[in-house]
Amino acid sequence: MDISSDESDDWFIESLNTYKDLHVFQLEHPTKVIEWTGDKNICVAGYTGSRSEILELLLPLKLYAGENQGLCAERDFKVQHGGFSEEPIESLIHISGTRCVVTSGSSSSTLQIWDIGGDDSDVIKRTGVINLKSTSVKGCKIAPGLTDEPAVLHGSCISEVQLTEIATGRVLYTVAKESSDSVSGLQFVNACVFLICASDGTLFMGDTRDPSTCHYPLEDSKSGLHWAFGLRSDSSQSEPSGCTVARLSSSGHMLLSDLRNLQSPFCQTQLNVQHDASKNDFLNVSWAPVLDRCLSVSGFDGTVHIYNTINWSTEGQSPQPVFSHRGHEMSDEAKYSGSPPVVTTHSWHQSRPKTILSVATDGSLHVWDWVDKITDR
Amino acid sequence: MPDIKVTPLGAGQDVGRSCILVSIGGKNIMLDCGMHMGYNDDRRFPDFSYVTQNGRLTEFLDCVIISHFHLDHCGALPYMSEMVGYDGPIYMTHPTKAICPILLEDFRKITVDKKGETNFFTSQMIKDCMKKVVPLNLHQTVQVDEELEIKAYYAGHVLGAAMFQIKVGSESVVYTGDYNMTPDRHLGAAWIDKCRPDILISESTYATTIRDSKRCRERDFLKKVHETVERGGKVLIPVFALGRAQELCILLETFWERMNLKAPIYFSTGLTEKANHYYKLFITWTNQKIRKTFVQRNMFEFKHIKAFDRSYADNPGPMVVFATPGMLHAGQSLQIFKKWAGNEKNMLIMPGYCVQGTVGHKILNGQKKLEMEGRATVITGTANNVIPHLASTLLDVKLQVEYMSFSAHADAKGIMQLIRMAEPRNMLLVHGEAKKMEFLKDKIEQEVFVRCISCYMPANGETTTVVTNPSVPVDISLNLLKREMALGGPLPDAKRPRTMHGTLIMKDNSLRLVSPEQALKELGLSEHQLRFTCRVQLHDPHSDTDTLGRIYTHLKSVLKSYSIQHVPDGTVIVESIVIKVTSSAEEPNLKVILLSWSYQDEELGSFLSTLLKKGLPS
Repeated sequence: MDISSDESDDWFIESLNTYKDLHVFQLEHPTKVIEWTGDKNICVAGYTGSRSEILELLLPLKLYAGENQGLCAERDFKVQHGGFSEEPIESLIHISGTRCVVTSGSSSSTLQIWDIGGDDSDVIKRTGVINLKSTSVKGCKIAPGLTDEPAVLHGSCISEVQLTEIATGRVLYTVAKESSDSVSGLQFVNACVFLICASDGTLFMGDTRDPSTCHYPLEDSKSGLHWAFGLRSDSSQSEPSGCTVARLSSSGHMLLSDLRNLQSPFCQTQLNVQHDASKNDFLNVSWAPVLDRCLSVSGFDGTVHIYNTINWSTEGQSPQPVFSHRGHEMSDEAKYSGSPPVVTTHSWHQSRPKTILSVATDGSLHVWDWVDKITDR
Repeated sequence: MPDIKVTPLGAGQDVGRSCILVSIGGKNIMLDCGMHMGYNDDRRFPDFSYVTQNGRLTEFLDCVIISHFHLDHCGALPYMSEMVGYDGPIYMTHPTKAICPILLEDFRKITVDKKGETNFFTSQMIKDCMKKVVPLNLHQTVQVDEELEIKAYYAGHVLGAAMFQIKVGSESVVYTGDYNMTPDRHLGAAWIDKCRPDILISESTYATTIRDSKRCRERDFLKKVHETVERGGKVLIPVFALGRAQELCILLETFWERMNLKAPIYFSTGLTEKANHYYKLFITWTNQKIRKTFVQRNMFEFKHIKAFDRSYADNPGPMVVFATPGMLHAGQSLQIFKKWAGNEKNMLIMPGYCVQGTVGHKILNGQKKLEMEGRATVITGTANNVIPHLASTLLDVKLQVEYMSFSAHADAKGIMQLIRMAEPRNMLLVHGEAKKMEFLKDKIEQEVFVRCISCYMPANGETTTVVTNPSVPVDISLNLLKREMALGGPLPDAKRPRTMHGTLIMKDNSLRLVSPEQALKELGLSEHQLRFTCRVQLHDPHSDTDTLGRIYTHLKSVLKSYSIQHVPDGTVIVESIVIKVTSSAEEPNLKVILLSWSYQDEELGSFLSTLLKKGLPS
């Protein structure tokens, strides 16, 4: 009853000063995906168990109340739409401008296409599939196309990456590269230019108007490491000149490259994190959409770290994070379970500069807005 | 078909008032009798015309059950019992019985005194209503009458809140009222056994939400209080005496201790006595932690929290005050509010819902200027037409207002947890829009732990009929069972019911199936056997024996599925029907066929006699 001098209680008391907003939720089933489907909506989906729920959630209205925040007591998520998938969901993407999402499941031979639905029903319905050439335990990697006609870029290994039109199933583009390297992630830079990051850290850049792709292997590639990437662009119609790519390895090695010169990263550094090969699945590096040159990292443990890359240099020690969110390690669930939770993914709020949503293996979902000791005081 | 009918009273998609009618096993029960807080006219009361068009409700209802003391569950109770008319029993838990009248009286005062309503219940009506209340304990089965029994389960949510099981024979319904599946600082979590009710009735208001953790709400509370105190402001927290005040005091005390804060915290004296009194009475309703603490010390002996004196409100510097009443409609909290409202450094934290018409309600709606009744009498009007009235002053609300809801409700996850605990055959959700809850319905219906579950979502005013399959346990006598077995055929199989005959004896509370002979014996009656005899004349040149043989052959070809025997002693037996042939010495060709059958074979016997009258084929 009294707040004991428990570590997690300490953290909560501390949070009065370290966070502007902090909301802690418990989903029934953990998710590996957070995908924005609107200004105030996100989609999450289960990956444990054969039958998974896909949910579209409305963020707590308190976050949007502005000056009237005090009078708004609404601090809960609302489940607006829900559906069932027959497979655990590894990835989920939203096609901008539509109510369509595409999911890829573990060891599945198809991508599933869903209609989230509108006001008249709360059921998320499957509307179709896209057949895949092969299956992968980690599921096929997917990314939304940025053209007017909804399309999805997908592939589990480099040679199988293709762009498929959703409505017709027509293959619009295929990568001509003969490479069996597995794909860690892929993303469109603009309507035609796309990036693929292989698990070994090699970057491929292609253009749907041109059959050939260029590839940029790492100079010093260590085996056994898994790489993830995060693309920072000014808008969805960027030219390569405005874009930066961050690559993160499972040992905490970070490379920053300019898209004009992917061969030589302009910055390399080593983050101070624990390496655990079993958690390769959850590696995530994301750039802040508003804060200048800030990026966030998660997947090593139950923490999300925020870094400001402005002062990063290749020489010198590990950079210190501007902020670390340890909330997932401090939850009640974490206290009583055998293994500490690991953050499965996180996502920046699209307009609020310092608001992040993070989820972990124990089903926790946090929405937080930290206090920057320098600028917020 | 046996069924249970459930009708939530109310119109359209109205949320905010609970009153549900259940018809089960010939009994009618009203679950909760709430007031709709959003209306000022008759729409705030449930529409009792559904029960009966005019007149009193007593003969139409077997009992009324109230789940907890919140006004949206009990606010219309005195109106129903005293103004519409109901004299039957009203069931609720002990704490609910103690607290309900206080809330009802407060509510009545606001509505009548402040808003000048006339069609409303009086203080005496509240008292008369409470006289009809039968309080009950948790997990205690109460016989409302010989057939209807009810039982209360712990619901969490607020002090005294309960979920109710209503049972008639082998049919049952569980009504959850408001409940909570996660324990908090002063209340435990709802619990129910695997009672497998035919229907589990629950609110769906929060069914599609995912609740922010208690910890974060508390964190925000502490943050706001701390910020205000740090800048030298004063914090006013209007509270009702029970539950929340306790929790928040404990929270602040610990926080003050840890952060070594010096600003004074006060609570109004009325609060102490009432709170202590109720907690002592209902200590078993709180959770383990509170009970342990209560044993160690008096609930309200805090190091940092002291009793308030009205003069302190004028003291300079920061402070925190807990004061009653909770909706700022009168008394000490309103007094303090008037003094502090004009300073933007101060803060008002409202920890709960405020009824329309109260200052609390207006402020939560964003009103920045409030008309306050003054003391001076002002005379206006002309010499012939004098109008005295109280001068009102305009109060500028400059202090910060925070609406923080601490009330605990089960969310989407909580509902599933409860379903897994109780294992209902059907689920019924009230107060939701069916088309907005199809996903939840699918989810519930596909819940793997509970089989054969259907989810209903009636609109207000709509009746849901759920067909039940009640099993009636009947003891069967061994003799009868053996006799049935001896008839042969397939062994008894649950999937292949077979008709059997016996006599059902209903005595005391048991049902027994015995053979007719045994029944007669038990009843001390002698058994009579009824046999019919019929003589049919037939011209037949053959000998008696041959004629019998021809009858046998004829019957065998006509009655293919019956058991027909030709017995050597000169009879043909069809089922229980005995056929003999005789003739007289004088007229050997005039055969007399004697048919004799028992009452049970009347139909067949008639048929045979008619058949044989037509003669035998050549």
